[in-house]
Amino acid sequence: MGRREKNHGLSRRDFIALTGRSALALGAASGPFFLFPERAAAQQKTLKILQWSHFVPAYDTWFDGTFCKEWGQKHDTNVTVDHINLVDLPAKAASEASARRGHDLVMLLSPPAAYEKQTIDMTHVYQEVEKRHGKKIDLAHKSTYNPKTKRYFAFSDSYVPDPGNWHKDWWAAAGFPNGPDTYEELRVGAKKIRDTTGHPCGLGLSQELDSSMAMRALLWSFGGAEQDEAGNVTINSRNTIEALKYMKALYQEAETPEVFTWTPPSNNQAMLAGRVSYVANAISITRQAEREHLPIESKIMVSRALRGPVRRIAAEHVMDCYVIWDFAENKDGAQQFLIDYIDAFHDGFAAGQFYNFPCFPHTVPDLKKEIANDPRATPPDKYNVLGDVLDWATNVGYPGYASAAIDEAFKGWVIPTTFAKVARGDETPENAAKAAEDEYKRIFARWK
Amino acid sequence: MLAPAVLYILLLVAGPFLLAIFYAFSDARIGNTQLHFVGLENFRSILQSPSFRIAVRNSFIFTIGSQIVVIIASSILAIALEQPFRGRGMLRFLMLLPWVAPIALGAIGWKWILDSIYSVISWVLVALHLYKPFGAPMWLGEPHLAIASVLLVHSWRLIPFSTVILLAGRTAIPKDIPEAAAVDGAGFWRTEFLILLPMMMPIISVAVLFGIIFTFTDMTVVYILTAGGPFDSTQVLPSLAFTLGIQGSDLAAGAAISLTLVPLLVIIAYLMLRVAHRAEVT
Repeated sequence: MGRREKNHGLSRRDFIALTGRSALALGAASGPFFLFPERAAAQQKTLKILQWSHFVPAYDTWFDGTFCKEWGQKHDTNVTVDHINLVDLPAKAASEASARRGHDLVMLLSPPAAYEKQTIDMTHVYQEVEKRHGKKIDLAHKSTYNPKTKRYFAFSDSYVPDPGNWHKDWWAAAGFPNGPDTYEELRVGAKKIRDTTGHPCGLGLSQELDSSMAMRALLWSFGGAEQDEAGNVTINSRNTIEALKYMKALYQEAETPEVFTWTPPSNNQAMLAGRVSYVANAISITRQAEREHLPIESKIMVSRALRGPVRRIAAEHVMDCYVIWDFAENKDGAQQFLIDYIDAFHDGFAAGQFYNFPCFPHTVPDLKKEIANDPRATPPDKYNVLGDVLDWATNVGYPGYASAAIDEAFKGWVIPTTFAKVARGDETPENAAKAAEDEYKRIFARWK
Repeated sequence: MLAPAVLYILLLVAGPFLLAIFYAFSDARIGNTQLHFVGLENFRSILQSPSFRIAVRNSFIFTIGSQIVVIIASSILAIALEQPFRGRGMLRFLMLLPWVAPIALGAIGWKWILDSIYSVISWVLVALHLYKPFGAPMWLGEPHLAIASVLLVHSWRLIPFSTVILLAGRTAIPKDIPEAAAVDGAGFWRTEFLILLPMMMPIISVAVLFGIIFTFTDMTVVYILTAGGPFDSTQVLPSLAFTLGIQGSDLAAGAAISLTLVPLLVIIAYLMLRVAHRAEVT
């Protein structure tokens, strides 16, 4: 008793009783979730997203830190975004499709038609977005729609233009102060630059995404194509042979074997290192130069895709294609996320520093005006040439749709491999076109 | 006691192997939800592909070529490291690093060393005025140089493993044998080639067979260094199976390519067991 009297504070017994009562009171007030937090977590939905690590890091900062965070709070959803290297995306998507487990929303960088049977139809998402923002561009339609099944296997929010990037001083000295405008000018000017300065041209000829897009642009500009509008193989044509001959000449006159080692960052590295005179690439090169205040920034200019003997045309540098697996745990949330994402697209366009162009043009109504004057660039109107990009950008599989067979041929690198073999002189253009035709027919037969 | 081993073999070896056989005779695609039996169609299809023929050729070139380099280099290293000298322990440790480091890490390092823009080798060659600034060899851009580069990296990776095996074999040989040979007047070369080499043959066979399996089934080096390029000239069977099967969505073709490795690997496994048995008996 005496000890209790001396101690004016709490005894251990009192402390335990008090904290116990408090915990029970708090538990009763906050429902069962205080004592069983896993139940609280179970009430909150989750949305798992897989996409690339953007070439403009500021975009990821906005996407993860602002848009996803706000969207998650608004929809009481825990949104997690996993960013991986773009090279690893196809293998990761393949493993998820095979295991039938993974993310709810997966973004791929080329039309993923091969996955159609494991993805949900995106018609509803397109319809909802079109109600709010008007019609999508044809490039998005042809990249994500299967006319045979009449389903949208993916949803495309944006595409990335693939303009020319060229070194101002060297091209001016070669007699082309505005850079090359045609493939013929590229050949003449690039040869002159290599002969006088040693700097080669950097049109990739490797088994990777950028080379694949660059070689398709060349093929189409000369009038060749992998398939016709109906999906018949047409690669073995006079136009394709002319395109192959051109590439052989360009390689031998103005390039070096390093283009056979090209990887997705190679355009950026070679241009920023001041090594090559011309590459076909998105504006990530100049954006990196601006961000890091590299002296070469003011020397690198951007131009429209080159005009060939038949037309001026290019593939998009990458095509954002979101798929929702049919085994996704939160399909509704994923669809709503995409719809709401397009509402906020303008913020993403600005955060990505004009890297991604909208598939719903009304989301960026003043696009031409916005890109015409960019204080980060030197000169500020550097990106003005991208204003008419839809006049010269088209989809993989042009003039047809981006079908599953086209998808397989794309990922099997048939086009860049064919051009590379001819450029090296390992195959004649005629034999290479025939071999490519055999390979395309083999692949197309497997998807019939 | 055997249960974990049996479980491991069933889950991680037998399961995928049976699945590969199933896929190889079906029309499996990534994204397909239904499979149909197609007989030998996938094998017929891959045999028509020029990339497959190149991959078969390269698989043999890289395997046989690297084993020749590895056995010669590791034999020299084993002889050198057998002798006592100051710092031998440290040298043995350093020599093991390429083997203990992850293959991917080593291959990435080599990719930068051989890079077309940032290659330190090319930089040195240019600095020594052996090549003009834009004229240095493109190690991964020329087919023959790319093949040699892949072969070099495979050898670099396997030399430590082989050296350790050979070193263990040499230390197991009783010292009185080379000493007796020396007393009888045999020199270094005669002792090495006529006395020690025959005694080392079983252990060399083990090193070679392991090396063959490691190289023949490896896709990491090719995938990271060249991704099969330039234009498929360094493609090997595992990397082609990955490119077509996983990246190209054609699981059936990928499985069919993988299965072509099996007959050869079965022969090697049989030889390995025979060698092991012979070594046990002697």
